[in-house]
Amino acid sequence: MSELAAVEVPTVADFARTFRRIQAEIHKVIVGHGQAVEEMLAALFAGGHVLIEGVPGTGKTTLVKTLGLAMNLSFNRIQFTVDLMPADITGTRVILSSDDGRREFTFQPGPVFCHILLGDEINRATPKTQSALLEAMAELQVTVAGVTHRLAPPYFVMATLNPIEMEGTYPLPEAQLDRFLFKVRLSYPDEIELTRIITSTTGPEEAGVEPVFHADEAPARVEALKKLVRDVIAAPEMEHYAARIVRATQPQNSRYVADEARSVHDEMVNRYVMFGSSPRGAQALILGAKVRALLDGRANIAREDIDRVAIPALAHRIMLNYAAHSDGIDATHVVERVLKSVRAARA
Amino acid sequence: MSLRPLGLHTIVDFYATEARMRPSENLRPRDEKLWQILGQVGRLRSRLNSLAFQHAFFYAAAALIVAGALIYISAFMLTPINFIVVTVTLSILAAFAIVAALRQGWLMRSNARRAATLADERADLKGRLATIVTIAEHRKKGPMWSYLVEDTLGRRAEFAPSRIEKRRISRAIYAFVASLIVAGLVWPLSRIRHAIPMPASQGQDDLTLDLNDLHLRPAGPGDDNAMTVQADPETMRRLEDKLAREGVEPGQGSSTSFGKLMDQARNMANNLQDKLTGQTQNHRRLNLKLADATDPMSGPGNHNPLDAANHKRRDAAGQFQRDQTNDNSGPLPRGSLRDNSSDEPEQAAGRSDLANQQPGANDPNAATKPLDDQGDQQNGDQGSSGGAAHGIGVDPDSLFGAPTQSKLGNEGFEIAIEARPMEHGAKGAGHAYEPPKVRTPLAAVQEPDEPVVRTEVPPDDRTTIKRVFER
Repeated sequence: MSELAAVEVPTVADFARTFRRIQAEIHKVIVGHGQAVEEMLAALFAGGHVLIEGVPGTGKTTLVKTLGLAMNLSFNRIQFTVDLMPADITGTRVILSSDDGRREFTFQPGPVFCHILLGDEINRATPKTQSALLEAMAELQVTVAGVTHRLAPPYFVMATLNPIEMEGTYPLPEAQLDRFLFKVRLSYPDEIELTRIITSTTGPEEAGVEPVFHADEAPARVEALKKLVRDVIAAPEMEHYAARIVRATQPQNSRYVADEARSVHDEMVNRYVMFGSSPRGAQALILGAKVRALLDGRANIAREDIDRVAIPALAHRIMLNYAAHSDGIDATHVVERVLKSVRAARA
Repeated sequence: MSLRPLGLHTIVDFYATEARMRPSENLRPRDEKLWQILGQVGRLRSRLNSLAFQHAFFYAAAALIVAGALIYISAFMLTPINFIVVTVTLSILAAFAIVAALRQGWLMRSNARRAATLADERADLKGRLATIVTIAEHRKKGPMWSYLVEDTLGRRAEFAPSRIEKRRISRAIYAFVASLIVAGLVWPLSRIRHAIPMPASQGQDDLTLDLNDLHLRPAGPGDDNAMTVQADPETMRRLEDKLAREGVEPGQGSSTSFGKLMDQARNMANNLQDKLTGQTQNHRRLNLKLADATDPMSGPGNHNPLDAANHKRRDAAGQFQRDQTNDNSGPLPRGSLRDNSSDEPEQAAGRSDLANQQPGANDPNAATKPLDDQGDQQNGDQGSSGGAAHGIGVDPDSLFGAPTQSKLGNEGFEIAIEARPMEHGAKGAGHAYEPPKVRTPLAAVQEPDEPVVRTEVPPDDRTTIKRVFER
């Protein structure tokens, strides 16, 4: 991969302006899903990956495709199936004949080698294949035949999950779910949105997406914006707040909770949660809050920022027990309850 | 540069500005901006701490004043035991209130971080100030620190102390003012209580009763014991017999620890009430003279005058006994009844019944008049000149006041008797007598205490009464 082009260091205002422009370009194609788009972009600039859960036909693939177009970044799509092999994702060594007639093994990069990757219905692939993708997500590299290949930044994976037709699927284990910064839910559009979708997709002209960046400097611009996010100041108090939230998602009766002394106790967590959020949840809270702070024109994060990203950052990291399923309790309910408890304890 | 008079505020502002600016002399411009922000947060902190202090002070002072006022007024209105109970209760409540107020004030105090957080919330600064105050202590501030400082300084007007906390005076001052009003109301109320006429005179300390009319019982805990029984030896012997018959053992009343405790409490309450009301209590003993109607030595004349007035006299004595604790008089008035406590025993022996010495003692109607007048005198106040509050032994011209308008309440009547051995009997008898402490409840024929209703003195009787007093 080529080195990043030198770009001007963006300001807080640049970040917000760029973010809003990308958002606007996406919404030329995607009708509705405003919050999902914002969370997806936030995850991108925070340097994470997104798991998108939605029923078929809600625009998951279109969303990712539009994002690649708007940012002028390379985009690939993998349709996960049961028979998909890791080499189909990462790439493999193939024998190629050179011009002088010699034959040699040459690494043929797989679809993971791009900037934006859509893993469609990731839960339909076998765990082995899933883990191949997850290695690329976590370490920005793939190892094929003992050779490690770096992925070019920015690297952003959006995996989709189909909550229906669960037969013959391989639900992502919690360890792999934890690698995703946010989990975004796409719901069915309402009547007005549906009408607009019909109008925009069944007419003679399709909406055109204008790239926000030039192709040659797009990766560098995105990386500069990601660095700006990291520079946002998080006061120790905010970090403690995030830590309290994450600790509050962990049930007291868990044998993996070493220290029972905590500031917030919630009965709902003890009753319905099998495993709470991992430390990655706290990282996701702070990184997501930093993006929110920049969007608000601030160089510091506030509690409101953390609260706003708590559900997409934590819901998929909380493992509920059977009692929760039987009582119809969702992880979103648990996170909302935890936020309430932490706020009350702070007051 | 604007000119303004050189007042205290100007001087204080000057030195405050100097103090604020001094550390920033060697600082870079970015740090100067930081100091400006921190200085503003510091002023906000000072204002918040001032309010916290005021909160603690005003509420504590209010609790103290209200409790003191209530204790003061209860000293006038309550009996000693009730007074001590109320005082202890109010003291405990006041102590709790003061501690709570001080604790709340302590919790309300602010440090810089807390003041910044409050400013963030009230000015919707989204944690800018709190972050600056927190991060300012760190050496490594990050590349966006300057942006944060600039951004926050640009919003300086939003977190001005006067905007974040408008009040300079805590709302607790309302409680303080209310407590002062309560205290202000207590003072005239206590004066009113001072002016309420007492139904019995403080001047009387002799009471003559028929031995046959005495119903004896042991004194209870906390009963007043300021009474001395005097009688001739024969009557005292009869009293002993009567006590023996009725099974009253001497001194059994306060022999228990509870009784002693109650006595101590009563004494303490009395002393405290005296101090609060400014009255000096005169713990003179009441001399109860016993007359034996069946005694041929006494004769029918000794008893007859009492028959008609016995009922009222006992009521008056019962009230009088209570009023002894509030006695504010100086020299004792000497009316128709004489004080035996300062007389020689020989003289006391000669006046077993003063009714004999009154003109017209054998006339029941005549005998009741001095007693009624005496009741009138008992109702008087030493400071007033006539009417319901007229005094005893003052100018006879001002003896007759307006009739009593208000009907006083009914009260139970008891006489607690603590008899002590005296050196000499009423007639100089040498044997020491140790009478028991008894209490006499109302007899079946007696009625509860009905204060004497003052009526207009008939013009014909006025001359007679005046003559008695002039004498």
